[in-house]
Amino acid sequence: MPSFPNVRLASRPLHFIYLCDCSGSMAAQGKMQALNQAIRQSLPGMARVARDNPEAQVLVRAVCFADRAQWHVPTPTPVEVLQWQDLQAGGVTAMGEALELLAEQLASPPMEERALPPVLVLISDGQPTDDFESSLNNLMGLHWAQKAVRLAIAMGHDADLEVLQQFIGTDPATGQAFASVPDGGISSEPSLGLGASGGRSPRRPLQASNATALAQYIQWASTAVVGAASMPASRIGGKSNGEGNIPLPELPPTLLDPVDDIGPVVW
Amino acid sequence: MTWILPVGASLNFEGLAEPVRIVRGLGSGSQGQVMEVEVAGERLALKWYFPACVTRDRHLEQRLGEAIRATAPSPSFLWPIALLRPTPDAQNQLRSRSGGFGYLMNLRPPAFAGAVDHVAGRLRLSLHSVLMACLRLADAFHALHSKGLCYKDISLGNLFLEPNTGQILICDNDNVDVDGRDLGSVLGTPGFMAPEILLGQARPGADSDLHALAVLIFRLLTRHDPFRGKLELAIRCLDEPARRRLYGEDPVFIFDPQDMRNRPDAEHHAAALLTWPIYPAELQELFVQSFGAGLKDPARRALTGQWQQALTRCLDQRQLCPRCGQENFQPSPTTATEAAPSCWHCSTPLPPPLFLQLPQGAVVAAAGTTVHLHHFDPLQPPQGDRPLADLVAHPSDPSILGLRNLSDQVWRARLCQGDELEIPPGRSVNVAAMAQVHTPEGPITPQRRCPPSQM
Repeated sequence: MPSFPNVRLASRPLHFIYLCDCSGSMAAQGKMQALNQAIRQSLPGMARVARDNPEAQVLVRAVCFADRAQWHVPTPTPVEVLQWQDLQAGGVTAMGEALELLAEQLASPPMEERALPPVLVLISDGQPTDDFESSLNNLMGLHWAQKAVRLAIAMGHDADLEVLQQFIGTDPATGQAFASVPDGGISSEPSLGLGASGGRSPRRPLQASNATALAQYIQWASTAVVGAASMPASRIGGKSNGEGNIPLPELPPTLLDPVDDIGPVVW
Repeated sequence: MTWILPVGASLNFEGLAEPVRIVRGLGSGSQGQVMEVEVAGERLALKWYFPACVTRDRHLEQRLGEAIRATAPSPSFLWPIALLRPTPDAQNQLRSRSGGFGYLMNLRPPAFAGAVDHVAGRLRLSLHSVLMACLRLADAFHALHSKGLCYKDISLGNLFLEPNTGQILICDNDNVDVDGRDLGSVLGTPGFMAPEILLGQARPGADSDLHALAVLIFRLLTRHDPFRGKLELAIRCLDEPARRRLYGEDPVFIFDPQDMRNRPDAEHHAAALLTWPIYPAELQELFVQSFGAGLKDPARRALTGQWQQALTRCLDQRQLCPRCGQENFQPSPTTATEAAPSCWHCSTPLPPPLFLQLPQGAVVAAAGTTVHLHHFDPLQPPQGDRPLADLVAHPSDPSILGLRNLSDQVWRARLCQGDELEIPPGRSVNVAAMAQVHTPEGPITPQRRCPPSQM
């Protein structure tokens, strides 16, 4: 049987790295379970996006931090074979150490010479208990950290939004390092989606006040953002999502939060 | 997944006598969600927009209404059939507080796979199927542009193909607009956007469609990107500013005859180096033109009619390698001194093929090749569907090649021995035995000397 030559498009690696807060407070109100669930549930959708983006080889890793930081998924793992092991909560919040671990891996080598922008997702419900700032400075000295799409998800209302904003970088809308963040969960306003009211923006910490919102943000980061960082999607004219080396997709529409299923608890 | 339209519900829409039953969710994208629905006993797809999308794209409803009235330019489009707005009672059942709307279209049959699956090397299909898909794509855009419309956002993501036949379906037709009117906000998809659109110097229309079409055809034919050569390798992090340079500020075609800066790399861009030489110079020239002078001057881009012509000619000269069976498309030498082309796959020199002479051109006699109205009538546009005849292998002896009558008229064949017989619709005549076939459209004549008569 004649067939098309056995060749395919060359791909570049896309490193997707979770940085997960596993401090003791995450044990409260089922937050740790909610995060484990959200990440696990997001994997099939992420694998689908990876399949639709043959230009990218999507590789997932995860760091967890409590008293110490350590690699939870140390090997860059193709998303379609990743099996998420549950994170356990307990300890303080060594966020700075997590950034140190990340920095070791974002140096070149071990980073490949050529890649797509890495996607880094920092998830926390509290405040760093170690030297966050010097670790962040060290990290941000690296080429791949500067090029990375950096997202942050604040779980509940005790998260240190200022620290998360520092991780993301300057808020493009205000030019300030930190701006107030409205609740990203249930909204009764018919939202225009994107920061139209000066509110939600993917370049600010995403505040997940319940399990549903958390799951939506994790799903958004692992699908829409991965898509944007690998193969670009249709471009709409006019306003873009602030400056950055990857135009970020719209946040999930809050209007779609099912009214009759708002998740177990409000943290 | 939360669906705006509740699965299992029967909803009433304005202007529809019967309610629409929501069968299941099919998918969710950045603009909205697609549901399988049942309307009057028929299964259809319903795309429902997110409120944010409706707010952002305020001409969406107008464009859709006009597209529906214009009707599909060709069967290759999964075209909107009807605009649906919920009645007040249905509105209360939606998981969305603001009204919103959607449109009905046909379901995409399961045999169609994403064009991206082909580019990723996940489909088994022949070069013939891929060329047919490209030809149908050119046909579809020819028909669309002929109606004064433009698509604005063609890319791998909204093209689907059937691997066995090369039939295509173009989805997401909601950016279709009257060319030049610019009622819409979509700019296109990076990698497919013309440089002037990417750089913000022009708005998308039929001219930029021609660039995107050339990119898409290139990507289907080569499984590679026309601008990813050595200049891409110099980029460490392939992000938005890098893409802007590669595709907008300084695009260099990887096979540009003059500018060699962006040649493919043997290791990283092997697909391009292997596939490009398979195609005849006439087809390659259209890429050179579109991705050379056409980058800066949209008027120089290859036109849909040129693609139709070059692709049909390429298909007409398709020849199967006698050793490995692979498909070859290089023209046969016209003089005795020219070297015969070799098979791209096994390097065997290809024997001179048997041509079937037609009033307008000639086709190589190879199983799977088709004969069309444009081979008889110079006023017919070259196209790949509705063949009048095709070449088929004998069901029990594949070495015997037949010319099959696909028309609804009876043909007459004169055999080499001089006998005449009738070829009814659906029947085939052995090509080796025929001297000439008479069809109502004109004659089909094998270009060879008949062996000396045995009689």
